[in-house]
Amino acid sequence: MSPAREVDGHRYDVIVVGAGPAGTLVAKRLGDQGWRVLVLEAGTRTLDTWPGHLDAMNTFYSSLIKVPNSPYRANTAAPSPNVLDTVPGKDGGYRAVGYLVQNGALPYGTDYVRADGGTFLHWLGLTPRMLPEDFKVRTDYGYGRDWPLGYDDLQPYYCEAEREIGVAGDAAEQAEAIGLPFPEGYVFPMHEIPSSYVDRVMARELNGKSVTDPVAGRQVPLRVVNTPHGRNSTPNPDYDHGRGYRPVGAAGLPNYGERCVGNASCTPICPVQAKYNPLKTQARWSPKVTLVDRAVVSRVLVGENGRVTGVEYQAYDDPAAPVATTHTVEARIVVLAAHAIENARLLLASEAANSSDQVGRNLMDHPVMLTWGLMPGQVGPFRGPGSTSAFENFRKGDSRKKHAPWRLVIANWGWTWTAGSPGSDVAAKLGIPASATDPRGDAVYGQRLREELGHDIGRQIAFQFELEQDAESRNQVTLDPKYRDGLGNCRPVLTYDLSDHVKEGMRAATDVSHQIFGLLGADERTAYSPDTPSYFRYRDEPFTFFGAGHGAGTHVMGDNARTSVVDQWQRSWDHANLYLVGCGSMPSMGTANPSLTMAALALRSVDQIHRDLMDLHRPLVVRPVPLGGDTHPTEVRP
Amino acid sequence: MTVRDPLTGLTGFTDIIGPLGTLAEPPFKIPETVEELRYFLQAALALEHLTIPPYLTAMYTLKPGANQEARYAIRAVVLEEMLHMTLVANLLNAVGGQPVVADPDFMTDYPARLPYAKDPVPIALRHFSREALRTFLWIERPEYLADLPGRGGPDPRGWSSIGQFYATVRQGVIDLAGRHPDLFSGEASRQIGPEDFYNSGGMVFPVTDLDSALKAIEVIAEQGEGVAETIYNPDDRLFGQTREIAHYFRFTEIYEQRRYGPHDTPFSGPTGPAMPVCWADAYPIDPTATAEQYPPGSQVRVAADRFNTVYARLLWLLELAYNGEPKRLQAAVPVMLELRDLAEQLYRNPHPDPEKAARGIHASATYEITGVELTRAKAELDAGIGSAALLAVLS
Repeated sequence: MSPAREVDGHRYDVIVVGAGPAGTLVAKRLGDQGWRVLVLEAGTRTLDTWPGHLDAMNTFYSSLIKVPNSPYRANTAAPSPNVLDTVPGKDGGYRAVGYLVQNGALPYGTDYVRADGGTFLHWLGLTPRMLPEDFKVRTDYGYGRDWPLGYDDLQPYYCEAEREIGVAGDAAEQAEAIGLPFPEGYVFPMHEIPSSYVDRVMARELNGKSVTDPVAGRQVPLRVVNTPHGRNSTPNPDYDHGRGYRPVGAAGLPNYGERCVGNASCTPICPVQAKYNPLKTQARWSPKVTLVDRAVVSRVLVGENGRVTGVEYQAYDDPAAPVATTHTVEARIVVLAAHAIENARLLLASEAANSSDQVGRNLMDHPVMLTWGLMPGQVGPFRGPGSTSAFENFRKGDSRKKHAPWRLVIANWGWTWTAGSPGSDVAAKLGIPASATDPRGDAVYGQRLREELGHDIGRQIAFQFELEQDAESRNQVTLDPKYRDGLGNCRPVLTYDLSDHVKEGMRAATDVSHQIFGLLGADERTAYSPDTPSYFRYRDEPFTFFGAGHGAGTHVMGDNARTSVVDQWQRSWDHANLYLVGCGSMPSMGTANPSLTMAALALRSVDQIHRDLMDLHRPLVVRPVPLGGDTHPTEVRP
Repeated sequence: MTVRDPLTGLTGFTDIIGPLGTLAEPPFKIPETVEELRYFLQAALALEHLTIPPYLTAMYTLKPGANQEARYAIRAVVLEEMLHMTLVANLLNAVGGQPVVADPDFMTDYPARLPYAKDPVPIALRHFSREALRTFLWIERPEYLADLPGRGGPDPRGWSSIGQFYATVRQGVIDLAGRHPDLFSGEASRQIGPEDFYNSGGMVFPVTDLDSALKAIEVIAEQGEGVAETIYNPDDRLFGQTREIAHYFRFTEIYEQRRYGPHDTPFSGPTGPAMPVCWADAYPIDPTATAEQYPPGSQVRVAADRFNTVYARLLWLLELAYNGEPKRLQAAVPVMLELRDLAEQLYRNPHPDPEKAARGIHASATYEITGVELTRAKAELDAGIGSAALLAVLS
């Protein structure tokens, strides 16, 4: 009998739905505290062994298009979306052809992975913190939604998350260049990942100069700042008050991957596992934690008193065969950590937690606008992680009232994202056309081919403008019984668009990009094609954008049960023992890659879950009831 | 020659008939002065290094993608030998010594004679094969008999095992620490810490006193041979890491093509699951090859000479790292990758001798490092090749 069927009818302290980054951390902490935790994972757990990792590597090597999900095998029982699922429409626009059904004005281009380890299997591994001002965008800048908590509330949990993930970075520079507050004397567990040569060329050419933000009408100083990473670097002996830090190696192969060696394929897969993934944390789970894979949770079960009693799940055996048996399992507390879109899908399917009508709404991402060009000289792309530095000054300030802010990320992987380099460059030089029906062009070979490739590829630069998207209730996940997956579960139906606030940001970013290419003396090659699924025009200018893989905002937190889904602990307003953790709880995302903040929020929730469990387990003490009271004596707790 | 390993019952090697290179061994006695201890530790440094070229040869002659389990096992052992070498350097620096690495006498020619052994066991550079694994088993053979040399003058019995050598060093350290309160007065800045060395079982730590010195010796002896009468190394106890089996038993797994099970002991042999090993998936090489045998000017000769010069550059970087510039270890990493690429180029080409090529023999890296290579490598290093730019970034 499969393990998924064995736990049928059992009772745990906590059920965690989803063995991705958030669920894994929650299970780790609760297991360490002695609670019996069951983690239900919809996908498979092949990758938690070294042979499984090698299989993913080989799948990646042999795939024709190296997209984020290419190393991870298909699963018909628990399908995942793919960035290739949005294709150009017949008469412009786009069509969605994959797991996600889409009917919005613009395509939602973000994917995720339903497998043990979750989307952290292909995260880029950047761990910037959000800015203190990011938590109050409605009050201060008039867009999106405010958080019910602030940077100071998250500070200790940011530090804890940086320990669990193993962050490499320069805290002093983060404080000085960005203005981030840290505890006195704080350092990250590891020294920063060395800035790439591309970064250093940028710093040499641009530091101290400034560009004009034409929309907000202000000068923005340029400064290249090293980004904190969730990947192994040189441990800092000063960490943890001089106790230091031991980098955590690969899952399934001890003493491997203790340093990043610059393979530059972080997304979709780090070959040596120097990049953090949840499987490393799972290797240190307490025996109190049970992981059951191939268990697709289909419903959250709610009892008469509004409390959640457990979950219903479908156990399957073969990922190629969508055949399952249905079971239930019970717990005192249920934690959904299945990804923003999957959490929303599950809640909508369960008709739970939605008295506010906000479940599924406020779907967000970081729309990524790419610009690219050729430098006059060699800059050595394709060395180091996908990105090691960024310009951070566009993230903050009053210009946020005029347009969406962005993080201006310097890419180390040339035109990979924009044009599929270097493979596409080789194909072009060989005269191989983009379409099999086009005639083959002239080709160069041998030494000349190598020289021309080196000359061009070595000069490629690209910028990734990662814009903040404001929460809008019209951007949402809904269900339609017409659209179902192999096990009969409703697939998510997405309605998505960008606000004018974001589009104004893209307009400003385009102009800033032109100015930077000018300062660099670079040959800008940015071109937005109407054939791109995300193509749109705004104020007569063409734009395209990509998803960042930062799905968020489908069960937002707030300080009011009528207008938000969860409270500041990510606890459902409607069901006191149901927690919804992950980026779905974020009411706004700022411009920081959200993983670190998600981890910090999850760790903060664990503290509250622990308190709830203590309350639930403490024996009752029978006490006299004050006269006139209508409470049963045994309901009185100490 | 016919020798027989008492533990495995394996007989000797018959294909090596020429003279064997030898590593200088200290006299069979417990070191009695600090000077003698430094001499013993310098010998230990050379001993730890001696194992690395044969292990690298077996690993890099594997065909791409083949014998994955064996590859990772050998790789882990090589990393731990590098760890041992660095711990020995820390020990030597701790007692005021100056590790010597970039010296023609530091390396011996291969095939070399297994040091600290009664029998003349040849340590040759062999491709991944049963003979290579048998060689490794000889090197890592556990020594359960701790018969130390007597005190007061050389003992005529002579060395009988590497384990015995380290037990002797250990006793010397204890004796001398008792007599010299300032034994561990070496400069702290010469110690290598975890910032500069990584990716191996256990970890590098500075040696500053008797406790850390004994811990270093324990790591070195037990990662190879295992904690006495078990198949495991001491990493779980010393560093809180996952329990790992010691080198000798890892090699036994490959040789026997079977893993140890949970109830196995050194005497039971492995009775766990079968381990897929394909001896044919390796490039066969001549264990007695020298660069001189390759025709001057041929591509293979150029690559073999280049390999030796780059290896000499690695020795220089280690010499500098162990003598007050620990950051040099980081610059050594890309040099090791350069060596890997050069070695794999050699192994993938046929031997230039048509007769050997006809027998399927491939060219190989020969690890012949003389004063010529060292001088050339020092000039390259001084001219900034390979590491200067990197160091500028790191500093």
